[in-house]
Amino acid sequence: MAKEIRQIAIYGKGGIGKSTTTQNLTAGLVERGNKVMVVGCDPKADSTRLLLGGLAQRTVLDTLRENGEDIDLEDILKEGYGGTRCVESGGPEPGVGCAGRGIITSIGLLERLGAYTDDLDYVFYDVLGDVVCGGFAMPIREGKAKEIYIVASGEMMALYAANNISKGIARYAKQGGVRLGGIICNSRNVDRERELVAAFAKELGTQLIHFVPRDNEVQRAEIHKKTVIDHKPDAKQADEYRELARKIEENTQFVIPKPLTQERLEEILLEYGLLDALEDNYNI
Amino acid sequence: MAETKVKSGTIVHPHYGCTVGAAYTVAAIKGGVPIANCGPGCMYKQFFLISFDNGFQGSAGAGGGNIPSANVGENDIVFGGDKKLDDLIKSSLAVLKGDLFVVLTGCSGELIGDNVESVVRKYQEQGFPVVHAETGGFKGTNITGHEIVIESIINQYVGDYDGEKEQGLVNLWFDVPYFHQNWRGDYLEIVRILRASGLKVNVLFGPQSGGVKEWKKIPKAQFNLVINPWVGLKTAKLLERKYGQPYLHIPEIPVGEEATTAFIRRVVEFAGISKRKSEAFIREESQLYYYFLEHFAEFFSEYWFGLPSQFAVIGDSAYTLAYTKFLASQIGMIPVKQIITDNPPAKYREKIAEYFQSLADDVSVEPEFIEDGYLVEESLRNTDFGSGVPLILGTTWESDVAREKNGLLIEVGPPTTEEVTINKTYIGYRGAFTLLERIYSAAVGGK
Repeated sequence: MAKEIRQIAIYGKGGIGKSTTTQNLTAGLVERGNKVMVVGCDPKADSTRLLLGGLAQRTVLDTLRENGEDIDLEDILKEGYGGTRCVESGGPEPGVGCAGRGIITSIGLLERLGAYTDDLDYVFYDVLGDVVCGGFAMPIREGKAKEIYIVASGEMMALYAANNISKGIARYAKQGGVRLGGIICNSRNVDRERELVAAFAKELGTQLIHFVPRDNEVQRAEIHKKTVIDHKPDAKQADEYRELARKIEENTQFVIPKPLTQERLEEILLEYGLLDALEDNYNI
Repeated sequence: MAETKVKSGTIVHPHYGCTVGAAYTVAAIKGGVPIANCGPGCMYKQFFLISFDNGFQGSAGAGGGNIPSANVGENDIVFGGDKKLDDLIKSSLAVLKGDLFVVLTGCSGELIGDNVESVVRKYQEQGFPVVHAETGGFKGTNITGHEIVIESIINQYVGDYDGEKEQGLVNLWFDVPYFHQNWRGDYLEIVRILRASGLKVNVLFGPQSGGVKEWKKIPKAQFNLVINPWVGLKTAKLLERKYGQPYLHIPEIPVGEEATTAFIRRVVEFAGISKRKSEAFIREESQLYYYFLEHFAEFFSEYWFGLPSQFAVIGDSAYTLAYTKFLASQIGMIPVKQIITDNPPAKYREKIAEYFQSLADDVSVEPEFIEDGYLVEESLRNTDFGSGVPLILGTTWESDVAREKNGLLIEVGPPTTEEVTINKTYIGYRGAFTLLERIYSAAVGGK
């Protein structure tokens, strides 16, 4: 019997580091001998840059727009770091058309063209900011990603967004098999961040699966269009992503999240001193 | 255990089209060309319900099944449909003869927010008579669309006006073209009556209309006349704000001598014109009317077998009211089930029900508002028509239940698949007898 591909969707507030985390995590999984496909579901099409060594890829929708329906898999699927398969859904020009429908179209096309082959161990969907409409929920619909990880930090808006995304997950979880696998904290170095995110995750009924510390090594690797593992395999941060990869590979805790009420969310923020800290922070 | 039935919100056998079906409002304007900015199936569905399977009304030029359509596909939704629409407008202007082109955007373009306005504005600025209407099907019925199209034409094509008003000139807001299968004949009769009563009429739809020239004259009219329980009021209020025109609202379409005479007197009174012409016309028409009615009376009193005495009407607010009132007050039939299927806005429903309270001396009926064809059938099935032959004025959707009840079905609304309409009317002085002929021919076994 063919093994089941683990299809994973990564959500989180815009700018939180979803793409960076997904690609570094992918590198970690590849090192462990996995075959991974990354599907970027963001009109900006920057979800595979570090794996491909640059923004060289034509997106599915660009190809569709220019070539019409007659498309081969090779036109849209590029091989990146360690044999990773990379796809960018892309989107219409800003301000026209429907990006949500674009994602539905792209994923539908990938399925028709047979991109989901049995040799794959993981498929990652890196989805833009928030679940704004049905199109951006496409990766977690029936028969697609069953695991979701939310990338967050100890910043207030990141947790608001994570809570909102959990509402979307809870809705879909009732209809199908989609479950939340945990929160990945991409640290912003705010006070008591680890405790806060861990408490938030617990309240949601899930876990803080890994705390990724802030490290400039990530930025240095990005400038070189590489993941940390690729750019500097012996860096301490590379080990962090290896650890994240191990935890995800071994994860068994999949839950239907219990989103917090606005009041409870603010209570937790207060409890961990974030709101007090905000008052002292004149940068905001 | 008691069963709780919750209505699902889905309906079968619809009695109306969707918003984009207002393409037929455009087709009814002389020189009007609808341009459908929607999926390939949209116009097909609207054509069959509103035009073809609705008395096979026919069309000439751009209308009927010949409406230019963008046939919006998946790529237009993902990337936006502006370019395709632009090409379609360009080719329509090149290929089709017309005086006014109206782009009707359906669900897909409206949902993704296609900037149709900017595409159309380019043509407007070059002096082409092109108008756009936001008619996403989810906004409501073809009646909703009818009012949106009228408003779009007034705002974008007729434009501002602060000149003189013309005394005695009236804008006629009446049947929703095509949706009312007899609309052409109905317009002819109402316009005949109004003109003979001394009024000048801006006829905006149908064979007597001067086309877009008449639309341009809308702001000059002394007032607006709305003949419908609710459709047209939105337009009248718009024109009141825009051009300072008052409006006269007559909810009941007049059928028969009494109602038509009262109608004329109300309009003439409101217009403030001389009554000499209108009274002479009333005398002349009444004499003719009663000449025929007297002769009909012989049949009516002598023929005993199988005449209907209790009747139901299934139709839109306007015609359910008009036919019910005529048959109840003039023929003495008993209304037992009146079902209104055009989904009038909640704020008008109480008023509409009130109109049914004074059909004749001591005759009133509580109309039902039902959109779902299944529930219409259920309601009809459970109606007691007494011992006589049930008479049902309805649509093809009611033919099964009419057969079950051994009733006479006269098709008067969409869909109508057993009548061919060329120039027919059941209203006014002259149309009332056509309606009686139709009913009693069926009653005496006419095929």
